[in-house]
Amino acid sequence: MSAEIRSKVIGLYKHLQYLGREYPGPNGPQKFRQQIRDAFLKHKDETDPKKIMALVAHGRYVAKEVEALYSLKKYRALKQRYYD
Amino acid sequence: MSLTQVVRSCSRFAAKSLRVTAAVSSTAQPQMRLMHRISSNSPAVSALLNQNYSAWQSQFVRNYSAKPPLTLKLIGERVLLVLKLYDKIDPSKLSVDSHFINDLGLDSLDHVEVIMAMEDEFGFEIPDSDAEKLLKPADIIKYVADKEDIYD
Repeated sequence: MSAEIRSKVIGLYKHLQYLGREYPGPNGPQKFRQQIRDAFLKHKDETDPKKIMALVAHGRYVAKEVEALYSLKKYRALKQRYYD
Repeated sequence: MSLTQVVRSCSRFAAKSLRVTAAVSSTAQPQMRLMHRISSNSPAVSALLNQNYSAWQSQFVRNYSAKPPLTLKLIGERVLLVLKLYDKIDPSKLSVDSHFINDLGLDSLDHVEVIMAMEDEFGFEIPDSDAEKLLKPADIIKYVADKEDIYD
């Protein structure tokens, strides 16, 4: 794996791990961390750069989804406190 | 004259001088809360502000963000403590010279997490190119000491 792709994969892993620290639910952060790990380990033997980049793109999509989940959670909490 | 009066008169003066400076330089922004900027712009204003301020201002300035002084020994202790608390490392096998991947049985993803923990502990970012080389606790201690300018 070239250094450039490697740094992208590591950057994605770090980004997801940072995001996972605030994952909601009981043991949310731990579970999320393990899931991210498993997802990366599942593709550890991938060597084709194109496929790796596709997986990284998928990972970025997941990160966006998690961010969206957080903002949704925030507004739900606000709504609950003011209107319910 | 009470403290609030002093502050008020100061700010009034600052507002006046602000208009002057604003007329002179278009870069000065018309906001009172930028008083520190005014004082650095014109020496006369800063002298006057210092006259009124210095006595009480010095009591209010505190360095909340200052870090405790680090020593090589302290860095070593903190690095080892962080590693001990990491769930995949066996504390009994851990020593300063144990290799993360060969001796402690971590994989590269664990290594990334260890580096993240070090970033959190010492409060600065470690670039990927440097992180690859930090394969032993001793390397991390040396790297942190280099970054924080500690030599002894």
